[in-house]
Amino acid sequence: MVDYLLQALPLVFAFDVMLAMVVGTAAGVAIGALPGLSTTMGIAVLIPLTFTMPPLVALGLMAGIYNGAMYGGSIPAILLRIPGTPAGIATTFDGYPMAQQGHGVQAMRIALVSSALGGIVSALTLILLAPPLASVALLFGPAEVFWLAVFGLTAISVLLAENPVKGLLSAGFGLIIGTVGIDQLTGNERFTFDVLELTSGIGILVLLTGLYAIPPAFELAAKAMLVNPTELARGMASKAEDASERFAWRSLIPTWIRASGIGVAIGIVPGTGGNIASIISWNETRRAAREPERFGKGAPEGVAASECANNADNASALIPALTLGIPGNAVAAVILGGLLVHGMQPGPALFRDTAPVTYGFMLAMLITAVLLFFIGWFGARLFIYVLQMPPLLLAPMIIAMSTIGIYAINNSMFDVWLMLFIGVIGFLMERLRMPLAPAVLAVILGPMAEAELRRSLLISRGDFSFLFSSAISLILVALTIIMVIAPLVRRLAPGKPKRGKDEHPVQVDG
Amino acid sequence: MRFLRHVLTAGAVGIFTLAGASFAQADYPERPITMIVAFSPGGGTDVAARSLAPFIEKYLDGSITVVNKPGAGGEVGFTAIAQAEPDGYTIGFLNTPNLITIPIERDTRYELENIAPIASVVDDPGGFHVRSESEFETLDELIAYAKEHPNAVTFGTTGIGSDDHLAALALQRAAGIELTHVPFPGASAVRAALLGGHISLGVFNMSEAVSFIEEGRVRPLGQMAEERWPVTPDVPTFREQGYDIVQGSIRGIGAPAGVPDEVLQKVASAIEQAINDPEFQQIAADQSLPLRFMGPQAYSDTLNALREGYLNLWQESPWAEQ
Repeated sequence: MVDYLLQALPLVFAFDVMLAMVVGTAAGVAIGALPGLSTTMGIAVLIPLTFTMPPLVALGLMAGIYNGAMYGGSIPAILLRIPGTPAGIATTFDGYPMAQQGHGVQAMRIALVSSALGGIVSALTLILLAPPLASVALLFGPAEVFWLAVFGLTAISVLLAENPVKGLLSAGFGLIIGTVGIDQLTGNERFTFDVLELTSGIGILVLLTGLYAIPPAFELAAKAMLVNPTELARGMASKAEDASERFAWRSLIPTWIRASGIGVAIGIVPGTGGNIASIISWNETRRAAREPERFGKGAPEGVAASECANNADNASALIPALTLGIPGNAVAAVILGGLLVHGMQPGPALFRDTAPVTYGFMLAMLITAVLLFFIGWFGARLFIYVLQMPPLLLAPMIIAMSTIGIYAINNSMFDVWLMLFIGVIGFLMERLRMPLAPAVLAVILGPMAEAELRRSLLISRGDFSFLFSSAISLILVALTIIMVIAPLVRRLAPGKPKRGKDEHPVQVDG
Repeated sequence: MRFLRHVLTAGAVGIFTLAGASFAQADYPERPITMIVAFSPGGGTDVAARSLAPFIEKYLDGSITVVNKPGAGGEVGFTAIAQAEPDGYTIGFLNTPNLITIPIERDTRYELENIAPIASVVDDPGGFHVRSESEFETLDELIAYAKEHPNAVTFGTTGIGSDDHLAALALQRAAGIELTHVPFPGASAVRAALLGGHISLGVFNMSEAVSFIEEGRVRPLGQMAEERWPVTPDVPTFREQGYDIVQGSIRGIGAPAGVPDEVLQKVASAIEQAINDPEFQQIAADQSLPLRFMGPQAYSDTLNALREGYLNLWQESPWAEQ
């Protein structure tokens, strides 16, 4: 392995590869920051353009986009409460309140440092531990992934806002949206109303953009006529500059350790991505905190937990992808396609026949995580100008960007109309003060839990005890139970009346 | 006078239109050709299409834009191909069995007749695979075990009505056995479940298995090609083992029905030259793509024969709920 690394080093530090990584990272930040554009799409569109490039230049670009976009998603999440990527949802919980309190730049720096650190830990794990960890990925069968999804779903319970009924309605809405389409296991059409485009389900990006990007655009347009927000934004930005000087970075170290661990672990599990990693990490950090009630109201640890975990998912999702040809998330699946184009067969052959390029790619994941820090640090000032843009310009820009992005995914006008329709629903939900996050989480995790449960029962021929037959399943079941009953126990425990108060559901607007 | 002018205008327009039409065919292609791919960017079909497109461009002396229209197992894209203007400027990738089975399973906005097959490109045979730790060494052992233990063998496929699923159904009928079907969202998920020992049998295409076979992690029990695929010469075909099952995924290119025959032939010959280009053959070998060229007639006959077989299977034992 050391030999291969040494062979790969000069290849990676060649001028064209370095340039590709810088360009890729910057482009990735932009792709992540624009609502409606996703990492998956960015890399997929790029692949045909890289045909003629040397493999490592192409792979360097992909690594940069991958790492850059995961951080980029946090920028609109913090500044506008519009997650740029699905993995940015948990960042809105604390990032947006921070920006509202005048700590926008600080929140972005925390997101940046956390993203870069998560990416570095993940890339080191990939380089050093890929082969042994690959076998761990295989232990996750349908039953284990089902429990993982259920564990993720319990996070919804803390997102219920002050009104649990509204929160549960939102989650229920998400679960129903998640059932739309042709059922994977029987081929039946569910809630498709004979509309051809609905048979493949409602895309997560269509839903996310509709719920998160369209309503704020309406709000911005409405506000623009009432106040002069340019002044407001300028005030926020300058105040934030002061605050960032005095921030105690050291206090985030425990959060970073926890979040990297969670991100790396979730990444290795096939089929689960940064969106799940960030929400579980945010929730665990909140649970471990001394004052959980600060979360959802602008806790720096909340931003760090979410952003560190979603970047820590990146390289580790490539572990099963590179070693076994099994992608850990959707982006890893597209990267596999990119490797194929350059004649690299995912699987063991990658580490044997094309080892220098493979190690070069893994090094590129590490280097772009470092590059991300510099590009983001000096770019932050540029991004903050977004806040100073007149809402009358910003609102139509958000809608235009969302429309282009959504159209480009499937070249489908239907998706655009669907996004606008969901946008109207989102606007109504906002007005009714119904939290949006439970709906999105339910759409991501609901179908996963359902399909894996049914798959488990097919394998066991209807025997439910199969769900409890492996150690991993039992651990996940235990974690889920602790998560659900811990608040109850704490509240009922005598002598600690004050702790009970902490467990009130957090007020989260998103 | 006014009347005369109308007649002249109409005549002139008519002549120009006719001239335009014949020029269009003689000089085809005069503008970029859209190639529809009915699957997502970065997937197997997309990668194959984007790898092939530059070579078709080279021999057709025109430019090709690849447009992804994924959805509904390919139905969205196939419908777009069928409904396009039959002028030769929209072509698209066709995948079996989806192209054929979807109109059998449900009401669709296209039928096989609405599409003019141009040429086949890839014929990827299906295979039955177990992991190397498995107790089954041969197909016969698997069948003998399944006879004694109905439904005890679980097999993973890429979904209801996929070529993998249809192949397993065919074997169940031929051998008189009952297996338990576990559908997964894609070949890599089936492979993961197989390697992890969560299912006992994985049914997926040979090209998706080859690197794992070489590595010794996957043991193939048989391939469903007519003759052994040269890349895996040691894997016996189902026919050799006494089961007349030929199943796989054929990928080719088609146009909307009604496209002029000259255009059809011109594109077909460009595809043939592209497939025979040594540079493309190297790319295909790197991606483990089993190439197989069939011209418009042979390709069309193959598709019709496949439909015949699937219709019979559907009438005897429909593979999806209706």
